[in-house]
Amino acid sequence: FKMRDKLRKWREDNCRNSEQIVDVGEELISDHGSKLGDDVWIIYEQVMIAALDCSRDDLAMTCLQELRKQFPDSHRVKRLSGMRLEALERYDEATKYYEAILQDDPTNTAARKRKISILKAQGKPAEAIRELNEYLEQFVGDQEAWHELSELYINEHDYGKAAFCLEELMMTNPHNHLYCEQYAEVKYTQGGLDNLELSRKYFAQALRLNNRNMRALFGLYMSASHIAASPKVGAKVKKDNIKYAAWAANQINRAYKLAGRGTKENKCSVKAVEEMLESMQITMS
Amino acid sequence: MPIILTTQAYCKMLLHAAKYPHCAVNGLLVAEKTKDNKKDPSAPVLCVDCVPLFHGTLALAPMLEVALTLIDTWCKENRYFIAGYYQANERTKDFRPNQVAEKVAARIAENFGETAIVMVDSNRLTMSCFEPIVVIFDHHENKWKSRDVNQDCFEDWCEAQKITSSLLEGRSYEQLIDFDNHLDDLRNDWTNPVINKSVLDLC
Repeated sequence: FKMRDKLRKWREDNCRNSEQIVDVGEELISDHGSKLGDDVWIIYEQVMIAALDCSRDDLAMTCLQELRKQFPDSHRVKRLSGMRLEALERYDEATKYYEAILQDDPTNTAARKRKISILKAQGKPAEAIRELNEYLEQFVGDQEAWHELSELYINEHDYGKAAFCLEELMMTNPHNHLYCEQYAEVKYTQGGLDNLELSRKYFAQALRLNNRNMRALFGLYMSASHIAASPKVGAKVKKDNIKYAAWAANQINRAYKLAGRGTKENKCSVKAVEEMLESMQITMS
Repeated sequence: MPIILTTQAYCKMLLHAAKYPHCAVNGLLVAEKTKDNKKDPSAPVLCVDCVPLFHGTLALAPMLEVALTLIDTWCKENRYFIAGYYQANERTKDFRPNQVAEKVAARIAENFGETAIVMVDSNRLTMSCFEPIVVIFDHHENKWKSRDVNQDCFEDWCEAQKITSSLLEGRSYEQLIDFDNHLDDLRNDWTNPVINKSVLDLC
């Protein structure tokens, strides 16, 4: 089944394309429910969550009821009940649901994360951060949690702490170019010459891991350009950074030309990029 | 100096917010450079278009700088200038400009003193778009103050309402491209010719 495979891929990639999941899932369940075998339960869960995202409480309840019938005492299903309450903004009730799960099973990470999500939804970022920090003291290997924490810190403009979270992620995932690139962006935003140089190094590292990461390429260009333009650097550092920036500019131009091949629309972008790079080189020298 | 929105600008802002309902989104508003050199300070500025920028984490600098520089160059080629900034917050109940909004607006204000911040009130986002759901903030005495929004803030509210509603129902937001999409794949065109055509076709 194509529909089944689509849903599986979206599950594996953790996509939040809820409207599509509802479209495909609803049809799959109603027209082919009996043929799904044991897959049907995980599909009910996936569709239920997507339905909450789309305010389809009718569909969410249908899925939830089927799951409750099949797994009456399951904490996993209880968590879904809690999520439904969250979607209805009945946060206090939802919190009680999760606390009940945790009373029964204090190691239930899903319930703890939902409680933190509620704090986020209620606009209590400081508390969410505090709870998430406590969570991570216990579950230090939870990458999703470290990433969530880095985002919370970024939104609070606490770039130093966000960088720390990303450092944890880079240590355990040295080949992940996205973490490198995000770390570089945080350092760049923090500002100051030392952070700029660090950001340049990590943009370069991200490019080594994935030479098609455009953000890393642009980031390398921007950081090297700023360092070269800084009055505080010596002649050698300036020269080196002009070289890095020139290399990056070249790569950027190539990437745009490659992308624009055959399409009229992108001619505008290519020209804009060329001019941007030219204008920045003027400010560097 | 109050800004006025065209259908295309309003429409694309809402499509951007609708495409990423679980994220914060932001973007720039652009206006046409007029030929007359005498600037009448009370003349309204018509924002003819917007460029959707990012979704998700808005508070990082490097890609924002790239976008501002690139879009600035594009503006010069098209005789536009950046006249404002829009943002929809992650939490629907929250429509006040935050530090990111104020910082970007301050940057834009270096070139255009009357920059406005347009916040999209996602809480009131519906398919029918019966009322305008933006809150416009102007800079007065070092503070951002909201202004009453009514049909006068639009070049043609009836047209804007009809077309935006139609595009939302048709799920056109799935085709909306923002700068993040462009960085993911350079072939994605942040000037949104496809959506622009759809808007024109409905006019």
